[in-house]
Amino acid sequence: MSSTSVYPTPINAFKQSKRSVLSIIVDNEPGILARIVGLFSGRGYNIEALNVTVVDIKNNLSRITIETLGEEKVISQIIAQLEKLVPVHSATNLANLSESYEAEICLVKIEFDNNEQDQKILNFADIYRSRTVQKRQNIVVYEISGTSERINKFLDDLNTIGGIKVELVRSGPIGLGI
Amino acid sequence: MENENEFTGADILLKALKDQEVDTIFGYPGGAVLPIYDAIFGQNFLKHVLVRQEAGAVHAAEGYARSSGKVGVLLVTSGPGVTNVVTGLTDALMDSIPIVCISGQVPSHLIGTDAFQECDTTGITRPCTKHNYLVKDVNKLSETIHEAFKIASSGRPGPVLIDIPKDVQFAKSKYIPKKDISFKEHRIKAGSKNVDKSFVQELVNHIKKSERPIFYVGGGCLNSGPQASQELIKLVNKTNIPITTTLHGLGCFPGEDKSSLGMLGMHGNYEANLAMNKCDLMINVGARFDDRVTGRLDAFSPDSVKFHIDIDQSSINKNVKVNFHTNTDITLTLKEINSFIESNNIELEKKDYTNWWGQINDWRKKECLHYEQGDEIIKPQHAISRLYDLTSHKDTFITTEVGQHQMWAAQYYKFSKPNRWITSGGLGTMGFGMPAAVGAQMANPDSLVIDIAGEASFLMNIQEIATAVQYKLPIKIFILNNEYMGMVRQWQELLHGSRYSESYVDALPDFKKLAESFNAVGVRAKNISELDDAINEMVSIDRPVIADIWVDKKENCFPMIPSGAAHHEMLLSKYDKENPENQEKGKVLV
Ligand SMILES: Cc1ncc(C[n+]2csc(CCOP(=O)(O)OP(=O)(O)O)c2C)c(N)n1
Ligand SMILES: [Mg+2]
Repeated sequence: MSSTSVYPTPINAFKQSKRSVLSIIVDNEPGILARIVGLFSGRGYNIEALNVTVVDIKNNLSRITIETLGEEKVISQIIAQLEKLVPVHSATNLANLSESYEAEICLVKIEFDNNEQDQKILNFADIYRSRTVQKRQNIVVYEISGTSERINKFLDDLNTIGGIKVELVRSGPIGLGI
Repeated sequence: MENENEFTGADILLKALKDQEVDTIFGYPGGAVLPIYDAIFGQNFLKHVLVRQEAGAVHAAEGYARSSGKVGVLLVTSGPGVTNVVTGLTDALMDSIPIVCISGQVPSHLIGTDAFQECDTTGITRPCTKHNYLVKDVNKLSETIHEAFKIASSGRPGPVLIDIPKDVQFAKSKYIPKKDISFKEHRIKAGSKNVDKSFVQELVNHIKKSERPIFYVGGGCLNSGPQASQELIKLVNKTNIPITTTLHGLGCFPGEDKSSLGMLGMHGNYEANLAMNKCDLMINVGARFDDRVTGRLDAFSPDSVKFHIDIDQSSINKNVKVNFHTNTDITLTLKEINSFIESNNIELEKKDYTNWWGQINDWRKKECLHYEQGDEIIKPQHAISRLYDLTSHKDTFITTEVGQHQMWAAQYYKFSKPNRWITSGGLGTMGFGMPAAVGAQMANPDSLVIDIAGEASFLMNIQEIATAVQYKLPIKIFILNNEYMGMVRQWQELLHGSRYSESYVDALPDFKKLAESFNAVGVRAKNISELDDAINEMVSIDRPVIADIWVDKKENCFPMIPSGAAHHEMLLSKYDKENPENQEKGKVLV
């Protein structure tokens, strides 16, 4: 089971568009990321999020995770095109696996100026079990992880607090099939 | 101390080329490849053909590869040398032609400094090659070259580029021979070697059931090797199923055979397109449902069960959804189909599709390729027909440029063997044909090689005449001279109210004198009475010849399925008018 997206989908533009998370194992060599990104831009596919890191030093392998939008037919075409790239070992649509897990990490810096705001922030941070990375007089940095959906909800809730300033960075989803 | 087991990068390259049995390389020198040119000097296994512009080298390598079935190889310098081959690499990628391009690069320590003649070669060529490399370590050079050849020629073939910085060409290392290299399977992507038996059974069952089957054969059949053609001929003869081919499939099945419906698609035969539209079983052998073939997709062959054999997984279900498919090599799959039919004593002859053939023969009566040749001005169709009649007894290779002449060549020249027809299909590159003829003649020194050209296309790589003259390559350039970018003029006439914006080719050179100035031979035919003599003279001269054939300037190429129309909405002559609604929709397409 994969989680569903809370990103607004442009219904008219992509009638059958679905959010998919692709997991790609590649030889870690110069130019590989450019090849993959170039494939997406050259063929007009979307990249909603992208993440890449070496996962096997001995065999020199990286795992790239890409979140994309498209109809089923487009997603299969993306997979087929990815698998044609020489350094690509495999490309998998996590949604096609019977079991897969997703997670994302987000660092969020919040600036506030009064106690009421601080209390509300604390409250949400507690509900979403985010970890405090740093806390100063009127600045707090949290780390929150989980599905992208969960992080979205946390950020939506924060936004209901008036007058605070939020800056954030997200890793994009990563996922693993079982 | 000198180690005698160590060689410079340049020498390693030459050793690897020798190991790969490369005997011809097309190239053009420059600062960043001088060490390689130094290694080429004073050796004798490799013949270097000096082109006149790098675009010539890449198309020549394509012509060499297509006509020989081997990998074509070229060598160019950094910066402008390599940017000049971008069109040709894209052409080879679109048409699945195996070539290896070696380019020089500025020395490693200068990369990224905007050095003289530096450009981001791997960046520029990444989307137009099957794969490319920048070799920064001489110890990896042998392996890289051998992998490049393997990748270029495996699975769905294509162009591979190796960029070698100048310092790596000087640096020393051991040479690793091809036999000592173990390729990584995931990188080679050779396709499955196991025939899909259930696909084969399913196909034979459908052939037994079907009333209106058709083979739709493309360039993949060519790339699978000559054996694929043999198996295809066997299967067609056994089943009596009609066969149509794409532009690149021409020659995979004998064009004059009674089962052949000729080419399909935008300028394909009436009977071929209607048969595709009305069939109940389509067997796609190595074709990719290109837009030039399918016409309007929602009306493409609506009632057929579709089988698709293609080694490239990404070609399956890309444009057209199919019912059954296999990614195993065509030769292996066709072989299995033939032996399945034989070993199970399936008698398909009994099922001779009488009604289907009756219907097809009715369509044939339209004579969609009919033209009226008067007794003065040469009709371009007639020029090709006569060329065919006067050269088909010889061992002939035809290359083309791009435009009306290309489509007339495809319609009126008949091919009986694969690899004899060399044309730029996917990219439609004007200027392809003449350098491709140079390459084909290098690979087939004793054959007759003719570039069927348009005057506008020919001007795009005209400099390569000098290459043909220097290497005594007796190629023939047969120009259907209509003084127009004819295909552009035709679209303007049909879709843009006859507003001939910039499609007249003014200030043309005198092609006869031009030939002479290059030390080639020029012949000319101004009217019908001079045509046969000009062709015979052209063929008889054992030197490069430019034949300037003056043809009807306003002739259009029919049949034509305008962009956005369906197969059954074909125009057969200038008297057919296009459905105005389609016309508006089609105008925005290519
Ligand atoms: C490099 C390039 N530029 C432009 C085009 C667009 N184009 C297609 S056919 C054509 C006209 C070709 O004229 P000519 O070679 O005289 O052939 P004809 O159609 O007259 O037989 C043009 C400009 C192209 N295919 N390739
Ligand atoms: Mg012309």
